[in-house]
Amino acid sequence: MRCLGGLLLGLAALATTLDAQQTIAERLSGRVSPEIAGLVQDLGGAALQRGLPADPLIQKAIEGNAKGVPEERIAAALRVVVTQLDTTAAALRNAGFENPLDTVEITAGAFAITAGLHGRDITALARTGRPTPDVIVGLRVAGTLAALGVPPAETVTLVSQTLRAGASPGDLLALPGRVQSEVARGATPAQAAAGLARAAAAQARHGPPPDHGHPSHPPAPPHP
Amino acid sequence: MTTHDFHPQVKQLLDGELTLTDLPPELRAEGEEALRLLAAVDREPVSLPAVTWRVMAALERKRQRRWTRAAWLLAPALAAAAALVVLLGRPSRPTASAPTGMVTVRFVLVAPGAHQVCVAGTFNRWDPAATPLVRSGSGDLWVATLSLPPGQHQYAFVVDGARWVPDPTAPAIDDGFGRRNSVLTL
Repeated sequence: MRCLGGLLLGLAALATTLDAQQTIAERLSGRVSPEIAGLVQDLGGAALQRGLPADPLIQKAIEGNAKGVPEERIAAALRVVVTQLDTTAAALRNAGFENPLDTVEITAGAFAITAGLHGRDITALARTGRPTPDVIVGLRVAGTLAALGVPPAETVTLVSQTLRAGASPGDLLALPGRVQSEVARGATPAQAAAGLARAAAAQARHGPPPDHGHPSHPPAPPHP
Repeated sequence: MTTHDFHPQVKQLLDGELTLTDLPPELRAEGEEALRLLAAVDREPVSLPAVTWRVMAALERKRQRRWTRAAWLLAPALAAAAALVVLLGRPSRPTASAPTGMVTVRFVLVAPGAHQVCVAGTFNRWDPAATPLVRSGSGDLWVATLSLPPGQHQYAFVVDGARWVPDPTAPAIDDGFGRRNSVLTL
């Protein structure tokens, strides 16, 4: 009886995988070569079995084809994406998240890793950012800050402090623009982020200023 | 009419290939000036059809208006356009309503000599022809306004169907193929 149950579960898993691969094939139809489509189906199917999203793989394959990238390079990029998804999933589990992981969270974390963060940074942000919606926005914003050139340590500090200060998603999403403003005034991305993190920490200690969401004393990092 | 002939590295800044911090100290002021001119151009408000306004008003929803702006190559025409916009005293951040959950984003690229500019990204399955920008103002300015869902989007401009250009004023990441994708977080 136990063998029969296991067999049925295995068949169900196989059917799910085949269905997922069919969906991937449909989304890639006419957008990539058969070779790349096959690779995405293989990698995507395996990713789905591990609870990872396949969408980043589909997007990367389509992007590579649209840009006229050679197939070998697209294949290499796809494998990097898989690694980033796995790294993010491991980082989230290290933060105490349990299976099944939220695929949107994983996608946001993989983006942050692409932008320059590490698995340990994802873990730190995930620990700070619960509940899940805050984690997702926090990871997206952290990736964006990293893309602006903010070093990982300053990125994690800024996003974590802002989350601890009880910031709204809108406040979080405004952080990259505020960093850009400081950089335009001559600060380095690290200086800008550090200044904003100090302001967020002060807000967490003393409560929000009258114009909630904007520190009463904006950071004025020194010119390099 | 003021004309500008920016240093090649400043043009790289506007192309998104460098950041301000990558510039040597002696070029940072010039880079900041170029970005300021670009920001001034971006103050032009978007005109939406009246019927759209009525529908949006009925929804009675406020929503963010996110702007993204770009320049491919800064030319003298950009300076002239910027000066014109400043002189006309256009509002800096117009607000409007949008369908539920969507965020209106304006894409701007200054591409002198371009015959066609499109934006391709995760929001249109990287279709290099699906979302064209329209020529505006000086003739070198290309603009498109899109409603996008909240989330993280990657994109690039496609000039004349062949050249992929990142947004110089947006954050950018390695695309895995040796180029850069611009990032939009809504």
